Amino acid sequence: MTAQTSSVITGRPIAGVRPEAGVRSEAKARSMKRPTLTQMQEKGKWWRFLAILIITVIVVIPIVAVVFLALSPALGSTATGLTFENFVNVFTQTDVATWLKNSLIVTLITVVVAVIVAAPAGYVLSRGRSRAVSGYSLILFVVQSLPVVTAVIPLFFLFAQVGLVDTLASVTIIYVGSTMAVAIWMMAAYFDSIPVTLEEAAWMDGASVFGGFTRIVLRNSLPGVLSTAIFAFLLAWNDYLVAVVFLRSNDNYTLPIGLQSFFQQNQTNWGLVMAVAVIMMLPPVILFALLNRYFSVGGIGGSLAGR
Amino acid sequence: MTTGTAIGALKRARSGVGNAGPGRSANNSKRRFSHSRIFFLFLLPSLILVILLNLYPVIYAGIQSLSNGDLLSAGEFVGLANYIAVLQSPEFWHAAIFTVVFTIVGVFGSWIVGISLALLLRTRIPANGVFKVLLLLPWVVPIVVSAMSWNWLVATPQSPLPMLAQALGFGNVLFLANPFLAQITVCVFKVWISFPFMMMMMASALTSVDVNVYEASKVDGATAVQTFTRITLPMIARTTYISWILMTIFCVNDFPSIFLLTGGGPVNSTQTLVVLAYTTVFQNFQTGPGVAIAFMMTIVLVIISTLLYRQIRKVNIE
Repeated sequence: MTAQTSSVITGRPIAGVRPEAGVRSEAKARSMKRPTLTQMQEKGKWWRFLAILIITVIVVIPIVAVVFLALSPALGSTATGLTFENFVNVFTQTDVATWLKNSLIVTLITVVVAVIVAAPAGYVLSRGRSRAVSGYSLILFVVQSLPVVTAVIPLFFLFAQVGLVDTLASVTIIYVGSTMAVAIWMMAAYFDSIPVTLEEAAWMDGASVFGGFTRIVLRNSLPGVLSTAIFAFLLAWNDYLVAVVFLRSNDNYTLPIGLQSFFQQNQTNWGLVMAVAVIMMLPPVILFALLNRYFSVGGIGGSLAGR
Repeated sequence: MTTGTAIGALKRARSGVGNAGPGRSANNSKRRFSHSRIFFLFLLPSLILVILLNLYPVIYAGIQSLSNGDLLSAGEFVGLANYIAVLQSPEFWHAAIFTVVFTIVGVFGSWIVGISLALLLRTRIPANGVFKVLLLLPWVVPIVVSAMSWNWLVATPQSPLPMLAQALGFGNVLFLANPFLAQITVCVFKVWISFPFMMMMMASALTSVDVNVYEASKVDGATAVQTFTRITLPMIARTTYISWILMTIFCVNDFPSIFLLTGGGPVNSTQTLVVLAYTTVFQNFQTGPGVAIAFMMTIVLVIISTLLYRQIRKVNIE
């Protein structure tokens, strides 16, 4: 790309890169009186701080509201200030514990299986260079852009015939399937950063291809594995569409469906509803706080899969 | 914020496959035969999953869209009847138009907010890092939770925003009951969810722009607008383009943010094609027409993503 010397959009030279002589000297004379870039940056610092502060406050209001409502006193309670009443009530009055358990089971199995299956495939995508491999890479790219609805309808038909509808297994299988494309790409992208010479050295020492992969490549790929795991976690934890189609009974609800159905029954009791909402949002937020770096990568991958 | 791996994933598409190309040693070619067998075994589990859970359903959807079955029986072949029925219904065209509007607003709205914030956060600001983290929250929080919270903010006349509008003298504003306002609310919600993604993509693209170029343009008297349109924008053009197309795919495919906020209402005003396909199949139990809608979307998306794939590769060759 020639972006450094001329503008792609206008096709004209960028100011300052190829200016005409007269313009330059004039501009130079003017710039003597002007403050430099860094001085300018220093000058507007507090205005920009104020602007970004206002924007950030507006942006996080809906999220802060969730936490605040969850911590406010329960309906009909005499307590004042912030309390955990809603959380206590939510665990005693609803099946939130079951939903949480279901969500955790489904999500953890998805994460483990997705990583185990995607890692070797990603390795092939990274190291192989046959036509078949690049064809597979194109298929994966197309697959990740398809609407989930298209897959869900035929799979419902299929799963209904083998009695898998309304089981946790059905959603887990579909989650693993929908993580595949992006997970393989993410693993492959990370393996690309590991030099092939490392494996070659191992092969010289008599290691098998599999041995080289697990002991050399995979062992050095913790960040890639973490990002992929976080991506799979987010996909399974946040999904609504697949769960609402396949999970029919309360005992099998995962948190998103449980929360939504509970919300429909208790529209006015915001404290209780938001307590469930906080329980659902805590795991991703905690992960985000702990693994910020990998989270961004995994999350972009998550967005790749379409939210 | 590192976006390395994701960008790397995009670079992969550009370079075809892998980094093992030129660096591959002669020693390797002896192993090629055993390699290809082992590589096949490495790919096999994922291949089975992709065929069974991604490719088979799409092909099956194509067949289902040509028959009059329901969710539990296959039905008979009816040719293009479902497609004709769908293309003749005003609901479909309404949903198609709103999908386009929703996508355009979603893509450019989130891009404008995202790049503005990325540019702002690149400058020297106290507590810069804290803002960066807080601004990512809309995208970290599960969509079911944020939809609920927006419901609390706008849904009923007693919600905070309608109360505020009333206090400011706008009268009784019903954000989700008035069709036009509901469309706006859904679009704003989408922008609110999506801008962090754009912010991260743009921030990572901006880190590759050499700061000295700005000093030079300053010296030559470029205005801030000129600097942006003639230097910054061309230099981040590729990432911008990729993120637009990706966001287009996300917007077209977006089910929960509309379904959870409005359910497609009021009077179908916020119905997009995905929501229409879902309600046609799972609420009105008309499998054929619903699958036909989903399948048409699928074809459009396959074309878009194949073009994107080509484009990413082409850029690299230049």
